[in-house]
Order: sequence, then structure tokens, then C-alpha cells
Amino acid sequence: MTAPRPRPAEPKPAERHAAEPRPAASGAVPPVEGRPLPVPDAVSAAYWDAAARHVLTTARCARCRAFAVPPDQVCPACGSSDPGFAFEEVSGRGVVRSWTVVRQSNLAGFAADVPFYLVDVELVEQPELRMIGRLLDGAAAGPRLGAPVAVAFEDVAPGVAVPAFRLAGTP
Amino acid sequence: MSPGSGARGRVAIVGHGHSQVWRHAPRALGAVAVDTARAAIEDAGLKPSDIDGFVTAPLFPTAGAHTVEDGVSTVTAQWLADHLGAAARYAAGFQGIGQLPGAVALAVGAIVSGAADHVLLHRALHNPPGRYHGNPMRTAGGAQQWTAPQGYFGPLPMIALPYNEYLQRHGARREAMATVVAEARKNGARIPWSYWYGKPLSPDDYLSAPMISDPVCRYDCDLPVDGVAAFVLTSAERARDLPHRPVHIAGCASAAPPRHRLPLHWPLDDIMAAGTGLVGRLWEAAGVRPGEVDLPQLYDGFSPFVYFWLEALGLCPIGEAHRFVQDGRIDSDLPGGLPVLSGGGALGNGRMHGVPQMLECYLQLSGRAGPRQRARATVGVACQSSPHFGGAVVYTAEPT
Ligand SMILES: [Zn+2]
Repeated sequence: MTAPRPRPAEPKPAERHAAEPRPAASGAVPPVEGRPLPVPDAVSAAYWDAAARHVLTTARCARCRAFAVPPDQVCPACGSSDPGFAFEEVSGRGVVRSWTVVRQSNLAGFAADVPFYLVDVELVEQPELRMIGRLLDGAAAGPRLGAPVAVAFEDVAPGVAVPAFRLAGTP
Repeated sequence: MSPGSGARGRVAIVGHGHSQVWRHAPRALGAVAVDTARAAIEDAGLKPSDIDGFVTAPLFPTAGAHTVEDGVSTVTAQWLADHLGAAARYAAGFQGIGQLPGAVALAVGAIVSGAADHVLLHRALHNPPGRYHGNPMRTAGGAQQWTAPQGYFGPLPMIALPYNEYLQRHGARREAMATVVAEARKNGARIPWSYWYGKPLSPDDYLSAPMISDPVCRYDCDLPVDGVAAFVLTSAERARDLPHRPVHIAGCASAAPPRHRLPLHWPLDDIMAAGTGLVGRLWEAAGVRPGEVDLPQLYDGFSPFVYFWLEALGLCPIGEAHRFVQDGRIDSDLPGGLPVLSGGGALGNGRMHGVPQMLECYLQLSGRAGPRQRARATVGVACQSSPHFGGAVVYTAEPT
């Protein structure tokens, strides 16, 4: 597919660095200040526990075995009102279906992070199973439709990690 | 009888009122709503005591941490009935998205069922002090835990994802949208109560604005405002005795529940699949064919919705809207132009949700559009929100 990418007007050379999406914090980078932290509940606690160990899980219906992002009171696939959703480890692999570059965030806690990429990713486990996360290495080449990605994690506070993505094949 | 056609042509709009549109109103929103309601009732040739039904959609659509207070940041149907001193037999609010089409359906139901004879339908929009969508949240529980921790929040990334998906898939360039935004602002600049009165926007101005959430810039978004609109609806029979030419409601359709997704995640395929379903039900309910529509007023709260509605309504092929809007084909000043934004839309009036679309259908089809009155305006469609979450109403000059 050779569709042109929607690029903003090229920033002036002096501004170029500032206008490029920044790599997000990950790994050993100190905790990010001010970002909204997830509040696990009875359903999601297992998801956030796994994320803290840098393991991506997805809710799966005990009745029909379909994945759902996010889980719901009723299974979106089979309609069971007792879906018994449990979080199961998934590959974390997927493809980019769309993306944006956030240059102003409505969340005050992201003021220091802009601009950053968000990618809409379809996971390989199931058609149309889609997640949204930051692209941690977005400053390099930028995404394209169908680009393979793999899950990565941002450590945002002690014991709290948020799933994100990297372009697959990049170090 | 086709599905949805049970009330076809049986209810009509007989009058309207519209406040000034301000960035911040000089008086409380409720006070503006009372004045606007009185003006609409008088316009319809009625007295407040004739109004026995009140309908609205009271949503205050902000992602920010603002208080919702009746009469201040929102105006419910019950609040307006109480403060107008009317003896309401019926007061109801539509709680879905696609607020005006949803409220029109409530009003039609009330009139056809006999729950009310004369219904005042209003929409009051508020722009609170401070940033409209800005939110200082430090924790994200409930549904937002799945999106806010990674910075997916608010309506701009929401619309940026399907818009970019559209550009990438169809080989479109964001420059093509300049004609859409300029058309809305050209028409809005001629409307005396519009926030943008006297302030058109050139394609060059549009293209020089910086990105906020690529490929969306500020001019792709309507501006939050304070403003109120009101319409009076009654049965087609009673409408014949009132002063203005009635405009009939041929059919309504609201979106079916879309596919289960993350909060504010609107993939392009979801929008178009559910939108195509909505439009099929709309034509069936209204008994009109797409080719009969001479006034398709498209929703433009975010500019990409214009593409999505053009394609969902079948006014151009899928993937072609970015080309269709060029070369004067949506210029309402040209004899051959399709008037999709002749009422200025939300981009040309301010964030009045579906009001500009509904009002333009009413004004044109009743012959009351003044200097911009079109020679031929017989079948109008007023759209609101995204095709997969919103709704649409077909209006006709004749009862059909
Ligand atoms: Zn299931």
C-alpha cells in the first residue's frame, strides 16, 4: 500500500527535534510524575498484576473462549451473562490499524510527554481484537498501516506498568 | 408498512427559536433557554400554556472535571417546563448519543401517542470556564483504566484514529479537508447568531494551523459555546392551523449499539458498518430514496464526520468523499453544489451539536431561510454525531 501518510507541515530545522514524538519512558527510566495510574478492581486486578510483571493478558470468556477488550458484564461474543472472564497471557503481537500523534493532551499528567504516538493495534489472537497503546519507539520511523508490533511496558510507578508497543524488529 | 414508518409525516415542526451563540453567555444557560423557548412558542403562534410536552437531550459532553448543574451547565426538559410555568403532561430526555435525532423521536412518540399535543424540543449547550476537556485526574478506575493510563483520553485522539485510518486506507490527504471546513465557515459567517458570524476561514488558514492530535488540527473541531435552540412540534393536523408552513418528520433512525470496544475507540469499519445500517433503516422509515434528498445536512462536530456521513448516506462511493468534496461539489452557492453544510454546521456556528443541521432543514423546507433560501428544498436529512453512534432525521416539505 503506497498511500501517503498524513504528515504535518515539516517543522523548521530548529524546531524539528521538539516536534518529533518522544520516546516514552520504559525499563529503568524513573517513574513518570502525574500520569493517571490505573485503579485495579475485582475484575481487572489480574490484568494489572500481570502487567506489573511485563506480561500482557486479555480477558477470555469461560463459555465461548472469545477474547474481549475490555471485559464486560455480558460476553460480547456469545452473550453469556455469566462469562467468567479470566485474564490469559497473549502473545503481545499485532499489527497497526491506525495511529495518532498526541501533541496536546487533555490529561494534565501527560503535559511533559507530548508529543507521543498512540497506536491502534489488532492483536494476532483474534480478528478485530484491538488495543490502544503508546508506541515507545515512535520517534524513529513512525508507523504505517499493517506494521507488525510487539507489546512493551512502561514502568510508571513502583509496581505499576502500562502496556505499550514497539515496532517489531526494532531493538 | 415498513419498519419505523408508523409515524411517517404525522408530526411537524411549526416554529423555532435560537439564541445568540457565545463563547460564554452573559446570563445563566437556563435563563437563555427560557427566553429561547418563549421565542419559539411565539414563532409557532402559540402561548406557553399551549405547550404540554417538553423534550430534550441534556448531555453536557465534556471529558473535563466539570460540575453538571441543571439550569447552569445543562437544561433538562423538567427544568425548562418548571421555569416556563407550563402545565407539562410530558417531560423527557434522550440519553443516547445523536441527541437531536433521539429527542425528535421522543417528541414524535409523545405526539402520536397522545402523551402531549404541543411539544417544545430544546437543546442547551454550555461552555464551562476553564478548559473544556482538560482533566487533572491522577487515577483511572472503571472503564477509563483501560485507556487513560496510556494517554488515550478525550475526543481528539478518538476522532484522529478513524480519520487517519481513512486517510491511510483511501490514499487521502488531510489537505482535502480544507474545502469542507471553509464551506462550513463560509456559511456560518453569514448567520447572525453564529459565533463565527462575519468570520470565514480560508483554506490557507486551515492548512497553516498546527496539529493537535495528528491528523486533526483545531479547525477540524467545533468550538465549545453557550447557546440554546428550541423547536415547537405538533401533529400534522394541528400544524395546518398555525401561521408558518409546517415541515414534516418523515422518519428517524438512531444508531444500533456498535461493536464492543474500549472507551472512545471508534475504528473506521465500526463507523461505516453501523452507519450503513442506520441509513438503510432511515430510508425505510422515511419512505424516501437517497436521490430524492436535496438538502443533506451532514454532521461536522469533527470534520471527518462529513466524509463518513457522505459515504454512509450513499451520496458518494466509499473512500471517495475526500475527492467528492472538491471542485465546488459541496459549495452551496453554486447551482450544482450539494448543500451539505449550508446551515454552517457545528464548525460554522459553534458546538450546537445537531442544531444547525435540524434548523437548516426546518428553515429551508418551510421557506424561511431568508437570503440563503434555496429554489428547491423538498427533502432534508439532518445528521448528528458519528454514523455508528448518532442518528438522523428525514424532513419533508409535504406530509408524504
Ligand atoms: Zn462468550
